[in-house]
Amino acid sequence: MVQYSYFPGCNLKTNAKGFEETAIAVSKKLNVELVEIPNWNCCGTVHTMTSDNIMKRIAPVRVLSRSKKHIETLEESPNQVVTLCSMCNSTLKIVSKEVSDNQDTLDKINYQLEDDELTYENDIEVKHFLEILRDSVGYEGISKKVVKPLKGLKVSPYYGCMLLHPEEAKIDDEEMPDVLESLVESLGAELVMSPLFKYCCGSYHIVDQENIVSSQVEKIVEAATRRGANALVVACPLCSYNIDQQQKAMAKESAGFKPIPIFYFTQLMALAMGEPVKINHFKEHFINPEPLLKELGLIGRKKTK
Amino acid sequence: MSYEYIKFGKEEREFRQKIEEISGENIFSCYQCGKCSAGCMFSDKMDRTVNQQILRIQLGQKEKVLSANTHWVCASCLTCSVRCPRDIDVAAIMEAIREYTLREEPEKIKISELPKKVLEKLPNIALVANFRKKTG
Ligand code: SF4
Ligand code: SF4
Repeated sequence: MVQYSYFPGCNLKTNAKGFEETAIAVSKKLNVELVEIPNWNCCGTVHTMTSDNIMKRIAPVRVLSRSKKHIETLEESPNQVVTLCSMCNSTLKIVSKEVSDNQDTLDKINYQLEDDELTYENDIEVKHFLEILRDSVGYEGISKKVVKPLKGLKVSPYYGCMLLHPEEAKIDDEEMPDVLESLVESLGAELVMSPLFKYCCGSYHIVDQENIVSSQVEKIVEAATRRGANALVVACPLCSYNIDQQQKAMAKESAGFKPIPIFYFTQLMALAMGEPVKINHFKEHFINPEPLLKELGLIGRKKTK
Repeated sequence: MSYEYIKFGKEEREFRQKIEEISGENIFSCYQCGKCSAGCMFSDKMDRTVNQQILRIQLGQKEKVLSANTHWVCASCLTCSVRCPRDIDVAAIMEAIREYTLREEPEKIKISELPKKVLEKLPNIALVANFRKKTG
């Protein structure tokens, strides 16, 4: 079993428990172990694009240096820290590139980390779990573990912004990605392509400008359902929250609007690999995927908690 | 047809330089092709498009730049930055306009005024990201 130093980020412990639990479960099946960094902190979620703000760069570098210490305690571990949340992924990747290009910034940040007896030396790589699945496990290895192909599920991949932008952080081609597509197909689901696969959901504007988010979500969902999708697959807890929650509000407002459930890619994997349904935490979704899954015979009739 | 007199003096230059300093980008690299605005999925909600904002910065028209809602509508999706043919980190310029404002008035959003219900139901990453973008 290969052990990876795993950085969960805040949301995997609150709104996206189903994301984390399914990821840990399926990775075990694939001979990968995600071992949580014992004392991690928030990475700051969004990367600062200013050239002169050191303070906002301390949190993500602290994560990297804690992860480095953690890796030293693991066995058979590549020098990599793995994330599930695409916002963490992008923030950590960008800062790691920045400090490797700029020793002066790194020195200043290390000075701040001294109190915690930490230093960072630019010596680990940041990976999104999708990259591990694609590059280290391989789709074939994933297909082999599928016991219940997701027949009837017509899934449209929605990348959001942070998996594909910017250059330093992208996990795939920014205009023509295929990692989610290949994954969906290897699980036996039908792939539905939507042109709005990276049409921003409105992100953090949900806090104070909800109208921006709702008009984005309407277009994203419409583009997918018009092409026959009955589900979306995502990798970001904020995309997921925004689309899921806004759909519920829209369904309330207009009877004609047909919401579709949102899955994290690891939830689809867990379903296809026959993991217990309860680790998905479907009860926390705004649009419950269970009726659709039951209709397609992908989960049992038994009531799940 | 109306005309606008363009003043280009010390104040104008200083504003432009400050934005360049915060963003680390050369504003004059922009040749106004408009690709950033064409690909921005929020252009319809902006009272001045992204490339228009950049033109105003080139001219140093601080009041016009700061009074637009553009940089507050921008959601930092970085689409413009990966597409700009002149390799400008356009989103960083939007961030620089926000920062310029926040360094004077640090609260675009008043956290203490947000209803408790909102704070409790929203994902942490929405809140942390929002506060990082909208407070100084
Ligand atoms: S895409 Fe680049 S060069 Fe074109 S208008 Fe926008 S910033 Fe200027
Ligand atoms: S980063 Fe901002 S300005 Fe650029 S495309 Fe995205 S929302 Fe528009």
